[in-house]
Amino acid sequence: MVSVINTVDTSHEDMIHDAQMDYYGTRLATCSSDRSVKIFDVRNGGQILIADLRGHEGPVWQVAWAHPMYGNILASCSYDRKVIIWKEENGTWEKTYEYTGHDSSVNSVCWAPHDYGLILACGSSDGAISLLSYTGDGQWEVKKISNAHTIGCNAVSWAPAVVPGSLIEQPSGQKPNYIKRFASGGCDNLVKIWKEEDGQWKEEQKLEAHSDWVRDVAWAPSIGLPTSTIASCSQDGRVFIWTCDDASGNSWSPKLLHKFNDVVWHVSWSITANILAVSGGDNKVTLWKESVDGLWACISDVNKGQGGVSAVTEGQQNEQ
Amino acid sequence: MAVAGGCLSCRYHKLIWGPHSMTAGERVSGVLIAGGENGNVILYDPAKIIAGDTEVIIAQKDKHTGPVRALDVNMFQTNLVASGANESEIYIWDLNNFATPMTPGVKTQPLEDISCIAWNRQVQHILASASPSGRATVWDLRKNEPIIKVSDHNNRMHCSGLAWHPDVATQMVLASEDDRLPVIQMWDLRFASSPLRVLESHTRGILAIAWSMADSELLLSCGKDAKILCSNPNTGEVLYELPTNTQWCFDIQWCPRNPAVLSAASFDGRISVYSIMGGSTDGLRQKQVDQLSSSFGNLDPFGTGQPLPPLQLPHQTAPQSVVLPLKKPPKWIRRPVGASFSFGGKLVTFENAKPQQQPGIEQQQQRHHVYVSQVVTEKEFLARSNQLQEAVQSEGFISYCQKKIDMAQADFEKNVWAFLKVNFEEDSRAKYLELLGYRKDDLRNKVNVPGSWACVKCFAAGGCICQRTIDVIIYMWDYVDGLITQALLTGNFESAVDLCLHDNRMADAIILAIAGGQDLLSRTQEKYFVKMQSKITRLITAVVTKNWKEIVQSCDLQNWREALAAVLTYARPDEFAALCDLLGNRLESEGDSLLQTQACLCYICAGNVEKLVACWTKAQDGNSPLSLQDLIEKVVILRKAVQLTQAVDPNAVGALLAEKMSQYANLLAAQGSIAAALTFLPASTNQVCGLWASCFFAFFHFPLSHQLVLIGRLAWDPVGWEICCTSEVLCRGLSAGFVQLGLGKKDGWWQSGLGSLTCSVSQHVQALPTEKITKKPIPEEHLILKTTFEALIQRCLLSASDPVTKRKLDDANKRLECLYDKLREQTLSPTIISGLHNMVKSIETRNYVEGLNIHTHIVSTSNFSETSAFMPVLKVVLTQANKLGV
Repeated sequence: MVSVINTVDTSHEDMIHDAQMDYYGTRLATCSSDRSVKIFDVRNGGQILIADLRGHEGPVWQVAWAHPMYGNILASCSYDRKVIIWKEENGTWEKTYEYTGHDSSVNSVCWAPHDYGLILACGSSDGAISLLSYTGDGQWEVKKISNAHTIGCNAVSWAPAVVPGSLIEQPSGQKPNYIKRFASGGCDNLVKIWKEEDGQWKEEQKLEAHSDWVRDVAWAPSIGLPTSTIASCSQDGRVFIWTCDDASGNSWSPKLLHKFNDVVWHVSWSITANILAVSGGDNKVTLWKESVDGLWACISDVNKGQGGVSAVTEGQQNEQ
Repeated sequence: MAVAGGCLSCRYHKLIWGPHSMTAGERVSGVLIAGGENGNVILYDPAKIIAGDTEVIIAQKDKHTGPVRALDVNMFQTNLVASGANESEIYIWDLNNFATPMTPGVKTQPLEDISCIAWNRQVQHILASASPSGRATVWDLRKNEPIIKVSDHNNRMHCSGLAWHPDVATQMVLASEDDRLPVIQMWDLRFASSPLRVLESHTRGILAIAWSMADSELLLSCGKDAKILCSNPNTGEVLYELPTNTQWCFDIQWCPRNPAVLSAASFDGRISVYSIMGGSTDGLRQKQVDQLSSSFGNLDPFGTGQPLPPLQLPHQTAPQSVVLPLKKPPKWIRRPVGASFSFGGKLVTFENAKPQQQPGIEQQQQRHHVYVSQVVTEKEFLARSNQLQEAVQSEGFISYCQKKIDMAQADFEKNVWAFLKVNFEEDSRAKYLELLGYRKDDLRNKVNVPGSWACVKCFAAGGCICQRTIDVIIYMWDYVDGLITQALLTGNFESAVDLCLHDNRMADAIILAIAGGQDLLSRTQEKYFVKMQSKITRLITAVVTKNWKEIVQSCDLQNWREALAAVLTYARPDEFAALCDLLGNRLESEGDSLLQTQACLCYICAGNVEKLVACWTKAQDGNSPLSLQDLIEKVVILRKAVQLTQAVDPNAVGALLAEKMSQYANLLAAQGSIAAALTFLPASTNQVCGLWASCFFAFFHFPLSHQLVLIGRLAWDPVGWEICCTSEVLCRGLSAGFVQLGLGKKDGWWQSGLGSLTCSVSQHVQALPTEKITKKPIPEEHLILKTTFEALIQRCLLSASDPVTKRKLDDANKRLECLYDKLREQTLSPTIISGLHNMVKSIETRNYVEGLNIHTHIVSTSNFSETSAFMPVLKVVLTQANKLGV
């Protein structure tokens, strides 16, 4: 079901906090409490260290690859309150921009769909969310949503670029009229949906279901269906799947995927949006799939320490 | 501003929050528990205090003999509260039964004040108490006795603080108020002879400590040296010193809700709120308070359901230094585990072993690994997809279909595969008939039964009258017979036939009509059909009049098999497909779902891929991978069959099929089969990009090196790029393909090319479909170019025997679209146009050598860039035509 095809020894000297593949699945970026960001070439099962990026002065929490149409660009965020954007030029990786506009740890970075241009959303423990837009010539424009989440923002995730109505019926020659949205999760136990209106970011929705910090949110990729889907996970051990069927984006309803015994740190959708990977505080990774009747079932869990995976038996499933 | 104040009639030594209910209704604000000066324990209702009620006491009990200095709520059973006072008095109160407290055991001797009391964080029946004398006692409530006493040998500890380790059940810390020994001792009860570690960071007596529940590496302490320190009690390291003014703090607490926030109460009457996450400006503290205020006010972070009014602190007059966050981030923001999906069904995971909690054991050097895994959730799907591709590559269609027939569970499925299989066999129409239950031989046998029907058939077929029949007629004599005989004998066939019809002697009428000539026969047939209205008549009508459209349109759909059989037997090749389609349409529009599915069989006979897709999709649940696989198997096989038998344009990918193929490709890619995905990927979801769609279907047949050429062609053709860049799977898949081919070593042109082109494409994509769909017509005078070239290619296709040539020709057919586009746009120069017309003339006279000469002439006299797209193609076609002699 799930088989390890590559074990990358990162040689990080402390905890790893994030690992992300690039668009093509050929490069792996990792970041760690040892303050470094590393990039590996993992093609054909190999693991060649391409870059060891130093610049952060604290643990690095997350990395995010930009769409390759903008070149090879990686963003990282850290406890040192900085966001750094790294770029590969002529085979060498260098810092191309450093953003220091947050007052506390920056916990999450996420690139907007490439259709919008190069835009990075950053969520910080100072409660604010920053949106960094590349305006050309090495310039970045900053918009900041202050006090987006009281006590702190833990995660940001963009909605896929979908034009309201059918893609095909778009009048020719007209620039598609995208509605930009992203979701965020924070220490106020809320998932919030933000929408850009007239160049300003406004809180569109406030999704309440969690009883403790929301640790991560993940907006599911679009697979051509009219439904929008968001997964959220929390300190309270719960994972919720939020869906919205109406085009205006107003009525979101939560469905409890599972209540774990420990904090759930991370959720990630497969590209086809039918499988959700859930990473829990018990160091376990489980994969979940929605059945035809709309129920979410655990289809496998990654064995502790092995990275390997076994199918979940009935007994285990009940236990969970 | 205080939330609420009440003039409560006694002094307190200790005030703590009791249990609150998370559900609306009772005690959402919790309970305040106060230890009074006079030995009383008082329960207050904070909701009433806030509301300004006068009666705010829930219960109170005078039980202790002296001031109650220590209180703690059991975190496992929140209705249990321990209190400590003078004279070694310890009581355990049950808030549900407040009247009679319990004792943890016999009072310790000598009698002394209890300054601290704390429940264990791991084991609910363990309680610890400590005294200013420096002694600490650990009680086991199940045994109802003290189980261990901890005391420093020098007896200079004056316990002001006691806290259990948040995670390790056997460890606790004691803090000393004595200026001569301002230390924090960490004890492990398993080694209770001496402290495990002594923290000596304060210079004067420690007044309070607080151990973070969220991170056991964070212990706060404040003392008479006016410092607030945050230390790691597991190592003794001071992590942080909070900026304070010169006032002593006598109480310090972590916020139970937000682990980063703490409060400190100082003797000047202030309560300060800090965040260990730091901040950069002087206004931080106030800001933090503002944040808390809004949080308390609007969002109710305590989850009590009761909003709280804003908090305000007195303005800080002392200059504030920049507040830095903790050097090491607290545990609660250090994500220890993660898993992220990436392209191709790959899952990237990492995890970090939980930090060692046991003292004395060096944390071993961990390896920090990241695992890349392939996630395959659809094993059967992949296996079947592989089988399909193998079948296509090896062209083993018949055995593939046979396997499918053998494996099929449902009869219908079996049937469909049987129909598909027939496509690849000789004499397919006869085999279709057999599948419908009509064997030619059987029929013949039945027909050959001796009797009048046989005679009729004999006449109808042969048109001659055999002697035996005449005998029969002549000897069956009566009145009408007399008339008929008369008429016959007079040679008046017309009257004889009329008489027979009138007397319902149909057979006689027909036989006579045959003898009377073709004209009379057809008139008689007409009259017959009018008169006879049985089911079979319609069939006979159609057989005789060859009007199959009529029968297909009007037959009772319950007899669709018969209708299809008839079409299979009699219809001309040119009308066959259309008739099957028609029947399929009728079946499909019928309400009966059973019939609807049968329409698929008609479409298979017709070779109508698009209709099959539509019909199948309607009948099946198309969402699951396996049902999609079911569909694609049939579609691919049918397409192959159609390409073999009907010599049609294999590029005709309808919108629905393209969509399904695209879905299928996405699924394959998601399961890690990227190369396979590419083979199925239509270039675009609409018809315009047939060319590129075919390229990708063609991947099927091509060895790897050819695929490369194809990719290369795509890469340098802007249109191709545009199309391929519209599909994310394609983009990624292509690059993955390059990697497989070993070309991806340097991130060369393809990646950057992809990047820049995607950029332009993303702007064009929206306009693309509509532009292309509304193609201009080819000017009428040039239409002949298209029809002639197409006809020539078709002729070549029909006579070409080897697959390579066929493929070449197919490809040529597609590539000529480029010429037709130029004709539509009228961008070709007059010389080229006239040259092409000359070429067409030579083709019409089948003089291909001359055609080739004209070709050479055009090429040599024209601008290369103008003609390079189609002239080589024409050369291929002419050469083939010449070779095949069509």
